Amino acid sequence: MADIIEMDRIVKIFPPSLVALDAVSVKFAKGEIHAIVGENGAGKSTLMKILYGMQPADSGEMVYNGKKVKFSDPGEAILAGIGMVHQEIMLIPQYTVWENVVLGYEPVKFGGRLDVKKARELVKQKIDEFGFNLNADAKVEDISVAARQKVEILKLLFRNVSVLIMDEPTSVLTPQEIPQLFGELKRLRDNGHTILFISHHLEEVLELSDRITVLRKGKKVGTIKTAEATKAGLAQMMVGREVIFDSIRKNQTAGAVLFQTTALNYTDPDKRPRLIDVNIQVRAGEIVGVAGVEGNGQLELVNLIMGLIEPTSGSIKAVGEDITRKPILEKRKRVAFVPQDRANMGASISANIAENVIMTHHRLDQRFTRWAGRILDFKQAASFTDEVRRKFDIQMSSGEAVFKSLSGGNQQKVILGRELLLEAPFILLDQPTRGLDVGSIEYVHQRIIDMRAQKRGILMISADLEELFRLTDRIVVMHKGRVVADLVTEKTNVTEVGYLMLEGAAYEA
Amino acid sequence: MNIIIGLINGMITSATPILLAALGGSLTYYAGIFNIAMEGMMLGGAFFGMLGSYYFHSWPMGILFAILGAILMALIFILFAVVLKMDEFITGIGLNLFSVGATTYMLRQIFKVKGAFSSPEIVPIPKIDIPWIKDIPVVGEIISGQNLIVYLTLLATIVVSYLVFKTRFGLRLRAAGYNRTSLDTSGVSANRIRVWSLILCGVLCGLAGSFLSLGYVTLFSEGMSAGRGWISLAAVILVSGNPTGIALISLLFGFTDGLGLFMQRSLPSQFTSMVPYVATLIALFVYSVRLKKKQTI
Repeated sequence: MADIIEMDRIVKIFPPSLVALDAVSVKFAKGEIHAIVGENGAGKSTLMKILYGMQPADSGEMVYNGKKVKFSDPGEAILAGIGMVHQEIMLIPQYTVWENVVLGYEPVKFGGRLDVKKARELVKQKIDEFGFNLNADAKVEDISVAARQKVEILKLLFRNVSVLIMDEPTSVLTPQEIPQLFGELKRLRDNGHTILFISHHLEEVLELSDRITVLRKGKKVGTIKTAEATKAGLAQMMVGREVIFDSIRKNQTAGAVLFQTTALNYTDPDKRPRLIDVNIQVRAGEIVGVAGVEGNGQLELVNLIMGLIEPTSGSIKAVGEDITRKPILEKRKRVAFVPQDRANMGASISANIAENVIMTHHRLDQRFTRWAGRILDFKQAASFTDEVRRKFDIQMSSGEAVFKSLSGGNQQKVILGRELLLEAPFILLDQPTRGLDVGSIEYVHQRIIDMRAQKRGILMISADLEELFRLTDRIVVMHKGRVVADLVTEKTNVTEVGYLMLEGAAYEA
Repeated sequence: MNIIIGLINGMITSATPILLAALGGSLTYYAGIFNIAMEGMMLGGAFFGMLGSYYFHSWPMGILFAILGAILMALIFILFAVVLKMDEFITGIGLNLFSVGATTYMLRQIFKVKGAFSSPEIVPIPKIDIPWIKDIPVVGEIISGQNLIVYLTLLATIVVSYLVFKTRFGLRLRAAGYNRTSLDTSGVSANRIRVWSLILCGVLCGLAGSFLSLGYVTLFSEGMSAGRGWISLAAVILVSGNPTGIALISLLFGFTDGLGLFMQRSLPSQFTSMVPYVATLIALFVYSVRLKKKQTI
């Protein structure tokens, strides 16, 4: 197959000294789905942004359709036929589907008046042509995320692009929506479109792509045919060493009950029952996973434990004490908490790293304050930050740097480090590895296993069944606010848990 | 009867500059710019309008100069807020203060007067009598015989409404406000749209200014915009930019302003001149209560 795009020795340096792309050369063939994989910070997005004209390269050349090109903004790239669907969807929620699609290429009548009739017809034509299941008149804010993604693709097809760049397109989709997207992408490929697909989910890459290019730390590791690739092989290429996907727990007997919810009920302000009679126990040295499709009560459970909402009835006990309505500081003495939402709940992203590291510690540990808690001791904070950095292998310039300058994986490590060093006997983890790359996930998993070995009790909420099976001793399944099953991990399997998550009842073979 | 006609005409006169400036503010509101500089643009327009009319003995030149003067103010805003990416709020405050200082300085330097300058050489913008209609009792006295700018304002309301909701420019304008990255990635520069919205805002504020110095009265006095730009800002925010809503709010304000004048017969003027501002506060309060109700539903 002929190459449609050739990127030759692309270099990108972010001042002062971060080499994001180190002479990366890659060729994309016409009519293929080409996956670009790598860990966070490997340079995948930067490479694609250079191709799309969002960022200039410091050196290197690009050949597109046999001609040397250089796009100075996305508009030029789109005109040439290269379009990109970004990770965060860039549509105007207040506009209808057709308004979003035609924006920038609007058909007009005399005097700049929008030709609404023609615009709608053109958009409907495109929807039919590509067999998208979309309503051109629906407002974007009223449609699902998957449909919004389709609108983004449609918008590019409306501009007649032949190369589609997709930046982590599945990260916003539910598991049920992914096969549909893949079907559509494959159909586009069969129509002659070229699709460049950025991802760090290896299963997806193996399922969808024709060829795979692996980047690591700004360098190209290689391009391989998907048919010849394996998950373990790819992971090794990405991380540069072997990654183990099997269970890493050692056998140990669990101790006394550390955490317990008793007949916990929660009804939301709209009088909808969100949690019904929830009983969960976690013992020392035990990891209990909470499985469930998102929105089945996990969020409410976490918020109840942390005291963000109050239960309608029932109680929560941690380390032998009823903490249901205890003030937050009392809870924090017993419960370490890694929230799902790093940016809003886990950290103050505009504060510096050291300030984030000592949060809560500064209330519970005398050494961080002087004058009876009124003055912070920044020397102690700095040395503690250094301790966390060493223990949790965090890549950062200094504790003075602002938290949001860290990569996603390192942000999570900072939060994890802070929480695990609280030495609270019970640990609540809400999606601790969401959005992290393979290497960081492995690292976080190892730390969680370490906590288990230290006889702490861990309750972990995760949407990733593979993760739950890898780490947990028991899995409780939540469905419509109820715990529908409490299973020993070794005695169940993914099929059974998946079935319970969807149906709420036991699988009958 | 005369009192009612007087009140209505007073309402129209007071509403005109506010409505014009607010229409300008509406355009920048939709473009997603926090533009508080209508006050400064209007004052600049008033000064240059007077200048043009005085030197050329011609009111059309007055209007042209008023528009150019206000656009000059808008260009300063564009330079700082759009090109240099300074904070819009700070830029707006700076521009409003600059406008007061600059016009006062020029007034004193050019005309060697303090406070206000009036001269028979300044040609006012004419009132327009509409044949036939002017002879109808009551209605004629309201619809006919208004200042040219009043009719232009009516036209501007319709044009702005059309521009925002029916044209390609309008679709892009609102897109710039809702999500500028989306517009940028659609191949339209959001900054260009923002620049145009500010220039149009300058044109409308210039017209408002010319009405102050060449329509309402025929003179320029220091700081004669007297908070009208701020009230227009309140009107814009109150109705989230909707041009029709802005027209209604401006008329309401104009009415209370006229009412205040009328009440001067029985109350001290210090109290009656508070009426429009009290009305604004009440409107804000009613609005916030309504908003709260909406949110709890």
